[in-house]
Amino acid sequence: MSDLGSILAVLLDGLGTTCRLLVCSLGLGFVLGLPIGVLHVFGPAPVRVLLRGFDLVMRGFPAIVLLFLLYFGIGGLPGVRLGSFVAAALALGLRGAAYQGQLVRGALGMVPPGQLDAARAVGLSLAGALRAVILPQALRFALPALGNEYSIVLKDTSLAFTVGVLEMMSRAKFLAVSSRRIALVYGAVAILYWVLTQAGLLGVRALERGTRIPGIGADAGGGA
Amino acid sequence: MNWLELLPELLDGWGMTLRLLAVAMPLGLLLGALIGTVRVYGPWPLRAAAGLYQSVLRGVPLVVQLFVLYYALPRTGLLLTPFAAAILGFGMCSGAYHSEYIRSAISSIPRGQMEAARAVGMSRGQAVRAIILPQALRRAVPGCGNELVYLVKYSSLAYLVTLVDLMGAGRIEANASFRFFETFLVVGTIYLVMVSILRAALHVLQRAWRRSSVGLGA
Repeated sequence: MSDLGSILAVLLDGLGTTCRLLVCSLGLGFVLGLPIGVLHVFGPAPVRVLLRGFDLVMRGFPAIVLLFLLYFGIGGLPGVRLGSFVAAALALGLRGAAYQGQLVRGALGMVPPGQLDAARAVGLSLAGALRAVILPQALRFALPALGNEYSIVLKDTSLAFTVGVLEMMSRAKFLAVSSRRIALVYGAVAILYWVLTQAGLLGVRALERGTRIPGIGADAGGGA
Repeated sequence: MNWLELLPELLDGWGMTLRLLAVAMPLGLLLGALIGTVRVYGPWPLRAAAGLYQSVLRGVPLVVQLFVLYYALPRTGLLLTPFAAAILGFGMCSGAYHSEYIRSAISSIPRGQMEAARAVGMSRGQAVRAIILPQALRRAVPGCGNELVYLVKYSSLAYLVTLVDLMGAGRIEANASFRFFETFLVVGTIYLVMVSILRAALHVLQRAWRRSSVGLGA
């Protein structure tokens, strides 16, 4: 239980949960963030005001406070059953939705407004124009920032051990106590997180290259 | 139960959070300016070291960094108090993010300015100090400001190295009273207020500096 091989084996055991939490949080953040970003720009006034309130809380509260609020606060209410994994995915996912919503909003602003007018003029509905003309461009503009979001959410999955999710950081804490090789354990877990961060950034860069349309986007100066 | 009753219980912790930030914020900015400058003007071994520093500190969770400083370092004979571990962890991590904003701000200053400064007889160091950095730091305000906002929120991780900061006081209060929801709502709101004040202050600073600076509109 003290050599690097067995330490890595235990850490990698938690890697699966870390990745599941990452995928769920990022996925929830995107699924909610996309409509939130669109509503920030095109939504009716009362909805926009509500979203600003959501934004204020999600981007003003520390991630760990959101996590405790969900797990101990809401999860502790009578009649509510909230597992630690679900609470962590909800906390990181909802916060991510606010941030990704802002990214989508910013990216929508980069698409020249004339494009929406032109799409409407040829007979597309607002929803149709968004789906077929505006969002395909805006999402490409948002990709680099979404890469940043990946790295933030990945690193914040390491907070989930505080509510008992058995991810990589919780394994590291356990190993640090049981193996007494504290520096080795935390060094190894640091390297694993670093590799995951770099892999994600490379992945996003590949995605940017793969989805690039010649003449549109960064190489065309935003088309503006 | 009045939620306001919670405030006195949290006051000491809040003070600790403010003390943490008062040291960690300038430390991070200082480190960021230093590393960002080295990344652009340093000799190649230093440039490479600065790049490695940025990559590691931005690629590893802050919790892991804090645990290395507080739990692993004593094994090598270097014992840090919780307060020292927290400000060092926050300052070093924050510095890595600041340095990236400052590096890209320096790179955005036209090359001709350095040449002009050298042409009127300044040394490289003088030119960086007197000509390049004053402009670059202004351009880095939006990015560095964002990072300061993040630091306010991430300072809540100090409780993980046994410090009784705002978050730590909140946990103690919640565990004692079983009023988890109210307590963490109040704790979160205090962070929200700090973040909002900081955002407003940065906005004012940015506007003042934009007015007083050359080249920003250019």
